[in-house]
Amino acid sequence: MAKMLMVDPSLCTGCHRCEMWCSLTKYGEINPSRSNVYVVRREPAVDVPVVCIQCGLCINVCPTGALKRDKKTMAVVVDKEKCVGCGMCTNVCPIGVLRIDKETKMAAKCDLCGGSPACAAHCPQNAIRYEVANKAAAKRRELWAMAHAVRNR
Amino acid sequence: MWYGFAGKLLRVNLTSGEFKVEELDKNELRKYMGCVGYAAKLLYQEMPAGIGPLAPEAKVVLATGAVTGTSCPSGGSYEVCYKSPLTGTWNQARSGGAFGPKLKYAGFDFVVIEGKAKEPVYIYIHDGKVEIKAAKHLWGLNVEETTDTLIRELDDPEISVATIGQAGENGVLYAALINDRGRAAGRGGIGAVFGSKNLKAVVVNGRGGIKVARPKEFAAAIEKAEQWLKNYPLSSIPTLGTVGLVSLNNSLGILPTKNFQETYFENADQISGEVLNRKYQIKRRACYGCSFACGRYTSVMSGKYATPPMEGPEYETVDMFGPICGVDDLEAIIRANYLCNVYGLDTVSTGMSIGFAMECYEKGLLTEKDTEGMPLRWGDGEVMVKLVEKIAHREGIGEFLAQGVKRMAEQLGPAAEEAAIHVKGLELPAHEPRSESKVLALQYAVSPRGGCHMHPNWASTWDFGQLDCGMKEFGMPWPPKEIQDESPQKGVAYRYVALQGEISEILGACIFYSWGTEGSCITPQLYAEIVSALTGWDVTAEELMLAAERSWNLKRCFNAREGFTREHDKLPKRFTKAIPNGPAKGLKVVNLDAMLDAYYEAMGWDKATGNPTPEKLKELGLEFAIMSS
Ligand code: SF4
Ligand code: SF4
Ligand code: SF4
Repeated sequence: MAKMLMVDPSLCTGCHRCEMWCSLTKYGEINPSRSNVYVVRREPAVDVPVVCIQCGLCINVCPTGALKRDKKTMAVVVDKEKCVGCGMCTNVCPIGVLRIDKETKMAAKCDLCGGSPACAAHCPQNAIRYEVANKAAAKRRELWAMAHAVRNR
Repeated sequence: MWYGFAGKLLRVNLTSGEFKVEELDKNELRKYMGCVGYAAKLLYQEMPAGIGPLAPEAKVVLATGAVTGTSCPSGGSYEVCYKSPLTGTWNQARSGGAFGPKLKYAGFDFVVIEGKAKEPVYIYIHDGKVEIKAAKHLWGLNVEETTDTLIRELDDPEISVATIGQAGENGVLYAALINDRGRAAGRGGIGAVFGSKNLKAVVVNGRGGIKVARPKEFAAAIEKAEQWLKNYPLSSIPTLGTVGLVSLNNSLGILPTKNFQETYFENADQISGEVLNRKYQIKRRACYGCSFACGRYTSVMSGKYATPPMEGPEYETVDMFGPICGVDDLEAIIRANYLCNVYGLDTVSTGMSIGFAMECYEKGLLTEKDTEGMPLRWGDGEVMVKLVEKIAHREGIGEFLAQGVKRMAEQLGPAAEEAAIHVKGLELPAHEPRSESKVLALQYAVSPRGGCHMHPNWASTWDFGQLDCGMKEFGMPWPPKEIQDESPQKGVAYRYVALQGEISEILGACIFYSWGTEGSCITPQLYAEIVSALTGWDVTAEELMLAAERSWNLKRCFNAREGFTREHDKLPKRFTKAIPNGPAKGLKVVNLDAMLDAYYEAMGWDKATGNPTPEKLKELGLEFAIMSS
């Protein structure tokens, strides 16, 4: 069964290690601004890791057909031969986790590290986990619902 | 091409309003490794003796190290190095949060601040660009207001702001610099130095990142560190925060109480880490890159001490505003901590100054005439909180308290001397030198910035903690003699404790990660692996030791040049008298001199002056620090 990234913001301490591991894995440098996972840390006391949910909305807007779904991981991946860096995909991404990399000038997004996500493996608090799809889906429902409920409290 | 470092130093002159960017010399940097090592060289060479810490000629160095901003688990720190207005000595204040990492991502390892601005300014550093901007509208604002205003004004929620509050503007001698709203470069009065320069804040952000020389090897070394830290001996730091120490220390009779008159606090269970977690904690919070998350956000929902969500309190603060002042009300402690955060005050010196005043009041040395009619009674949380406000604004009795314990005692005369718990003017932190560790007693006496248990290391690791931290193979005496022993072995051991700690300091690492044994902490050997892969320099643990020794010697030279010698390496009188009650009853320090002799000798320093000999300095390649006299 396919696996997905699942986040639990209540466990996140805002350490940014996931971002560091992502950029280290992808580019051999430590640079949160070249990461495909984003930790929104705000005051007071807000720490929310944001990851690509691999919805695939970006696939349809790409004029060059550079985005496709990987058969094995079900992640949406960028074909480096085809991407022209036009940024259509970043415009359409509903949660803002696609970016044009400042050095490669190409779309960059989470590819689930080919099935062994560095972010999840190294999150010291277990706030990002690589889980089977239905478990991840259940967690997402919960988060979605709670995010709305908070306003009523 | 630079790996691990940004490779640049920024020099800002506030008098002329100009700045310049200097390329770092790789060999010179490697000699000191970076962070406080390199900052010690800069300040020694650029700030001649006798300059007033609050004079325009005084310089401040903001320093990061090789591991700052990297995924090395301890890499969230930066250090502010300067001459302290409280002590007149070398000072360095470390802080976590995001400031250090973001300074490096912005393209700078060091910022040297010189001169004095005519009008209030702040320095804005972003992606290699530097602006000195007007801060008139920020003057008078507290830390939270300043931070929020700058985020709005610069339209960037990701900036990191290091700012002073009213305490720094008003020249409180132990005012802190606070970054990211709740992380303090606390000790020694850097806030007052910023205030004297009309410098409100330094703001950083950058997207440059840090290049890694050998990424695969680096990832493997970091993975090893992550594994090792799973066996960390002080595992309560992550779960309870440092406040977890309150109960433990009290049960051992090493919890400083009522201005160090006692070492045991009856109501410690009311202010424990467990109570803090259960009743006031909002969530755990980490510095940039940190896998422990010792920090926490707390708040008091309602009542007279209602406090919005804030970072803290940690162990030192709970002891200072708790047992030290005889207060057993955690809500008053949280409130006092909050006020220190927003006004920009060092919680240790603030708490100790209040504790000192309370003891003086008890003894009749301060009366209601001096205190605007306020009785300063042990355990009165309300008065304590009021005093914090008064200190920050230097108002009424606050003006007196704002000078710190040493100056207050001098004014009150010899009778107050007994209550003045400081070394070289720096108020002691929340660790008992009579009962916790005799290496700690020695460290208090000799620490370059005065009575300090953390720079460069928590001295109690060795005899109290029974931890070698990877230093056995360098020759650290092992096993430790019992805690109370005051033989020369303690002096020899402190050489190793200090140098091991200094390795963290020159790398820009948080000290918490280096307390353990091989397989349970980041030893100098593991730091060498990490730094080698990061920088490509093939650094050995021995090389780190040598660089640490340079740094440690230079700070001593800095102080020597300011006139400090062996006679200043002493403890408050109180510690030569026995602890009156509690589990540690009867313990005292009797043989400091023997430990001092052994320590100086182990360091290769002159026993009469306690200062590095010319031979030692030559051996370390520090000829420039040999004094002519
Ligand atoms: S590594 Fe984990 S705890 Fe740290 S910021 Fe990322 S999600 Fe949060
Ligand atoms: S940036 Fe690349 S992947 Fe994104 S839409 Fe344009 S061509 Fe397609
Ligand atoms: S799975 Fe890999 S690519 Fe995706 S965010 Fe995590 S580390 Fe980055």
